[in-house]
Amino acid sequence: METRKSSEKFVVPIGPQHPALKEPGHFEFTVDGEIVTGASVRLGYVHRGIEKGAEDRTWTQNIYLLERICGICSHVHATAYVLGVEKLAGVSAPPRAQAIRTVTAELERIHSHLLWLGVAAHEGGFDTLFMYSWRDRETVMDLLELISGNRVHYSTNVLGGVKYDLDTEKMDAIRRGLDFLEERTHHYMKVVTTDETFLARTRGVGLMTREQAEALGAVGPTARASSVRRDIRIDAPYAAYPDFPVKLITDDGGDLLARFVVRLKELFESYRVIRAILDQMPEGELTTRVPRRIPAGEVISRVEAPRGELFYYIKSNGGEKPERIKVRTPSLCNWGTVVSVAVGHKLADMPMLLAGIDPCFSCNDRMVRINRGQGAQFWSWENLRQYGIEYYR
Amino acid sequence: MTIGVMLRDVLKSLFKRPVTELYPFERKTVPLELRAELTWDPTKCSGCQLCIKDCPAGAIELVVLDKVNKRFVMRYHRDRCVYCAQCVQSCRFNCLNMTNEQWEHAALSKEPFVVHYGRDEDVQFLLEKAAKEGVEECPDQPTDPN
Repeated sequence: METRKSSEKFVVPIGPQHPALKEPGHFEFTVDGEIVTGASVRLGYVHRGIEKGAEDRTWTQNIYLLERICGICSHVHATAYVLGVEKLAGVSAPPRAQAIRTVTAELERIHSHLLWLGVAAHEGGFDTLFMYSWRDRETVMDLLELISGNRVHYSTNVLGGVKYDLDTEKMDAIRRGLDFLEERTHHYMKVVTTDETFLARTRGVGLMTREQAEALGAVGPTARASSVRRDIRIDAPYAAYPDFPVKLITDDGGDLLARFVVRLKELFESYRVIRAILDQMPEGELTTRVPRRIPAGEVISRVEAPRGELFYYIKSNGGEKPERIKVRTPSLCNWGTVVSVAVGHKLADMPMLLAGIDPCFSCNDRMVRINRGQGAQFWSWENLRQYGIEYYR
Repeated sequence: MTIGVMLRDVLKSLFKRPVTELYPFERKTVPLELRAELTWDPTKCSGCQLCIKDCPAGAIELVVLDKVNKRFVMRYHRDRCVYCAQCVQSCRFNCLNMTNEQWEHAALSKEPFVVHYGRDEDVQFLLEKAAKEGVEECPDQPTDPN
């Protein structure tokens, strides 16, 4: 038997059937012993052609198609879309509708952050926290069901307003639910910041400086945990946020612990904003008329999804169907941080690091570029434009 | 968390019955806003077909038997429906509605998923015609948008 010394890299492939996450993604970690020396990610397993599909549906039908991009942040996708279309049409939803949109969006943020807390705890081997946080998440799921009748795809938005009103009875139920959740969130905050075993998995892991976060284009809680002051609800307020401002939550830590703390603190902020809106709910209509044909033009719509900035580009040619809809989801912006921060960590920390950005794979897969291995191709802007025109002809 | 609290939880859980609900013997109350059963009032319908245009799933078809006398039959594909209630929102005459009454739609065959709404005699006429011709579709059907 001979011991062969080799300078070859050892690559650990993980996925697409991922052992830790519930969605398909392929990762390759180059390791030296236990330590990761390089990482790469390959996405595209759940490409559904939604953007192309949207071009063949009417403005109204598209709300429901785009809502299905993500199962966790469904409402925020529909909100970004309807806000964009309303801007194109030159109408604005009544204040009460905007307030109800915001309440639903914040309830969705609570549900998404509690879900993430559970998943991240599970990846760290802390299954008790996973079970407890998911049990408590049922409270907010019940509230969403109470408002809209559905637990996942609430379908609250229509073009020009919302479908459901909030009466006093429902508002009281929401307040009661929030009281319970606030108490529980205080408990989770204590657990996450004091449990020694868990701290060993999070403190100092995945450290990302503010400069790195900005250079890698991180968004949402991932960026805010590295003290990047970036939140669309504050930078470019939409819906009811101009009237009910939220406080920016940042943390200087830059590690996994900071990502936990930022998300938990955001929960408190969500509770506060929902209560403020419920206390001063504007009176009035729920919908306003939107024409079936949207005037020609293009618009950019940005909203703050639970995972960060969600970006919509909508172009109309004046017809009943959009000409082009481009969606850029927050998860896509955050992948770069995982791949570059992974280097130097133990392989066992990878699931935690991946879960730390709260990834949503089905959100990502907007476009697939197939690398045929024929070497690099250089395209000028004009080439790209011509290709785009020919492609969509 | 102290040991005392933990022990209390353990003892409580030992004697508690399982939290699993014994469906279908015990039923939870249905959420008030649940969109489960689409209903259609043929007397109010003007046949404008806005609901069909707006339906994201192509779940509604309107069979026009007699346009002048407003004899319509609505064919509703429950299996295609995504229960978004956009049709209810789009209808200007309030003839569509979604209630939370009947929500258990599971079935062993596909037939129960196609529901016909309309005046009894119209539905009867349509079904007999379909049975006679051996085809399901009516000639003046709008094509499925999807």
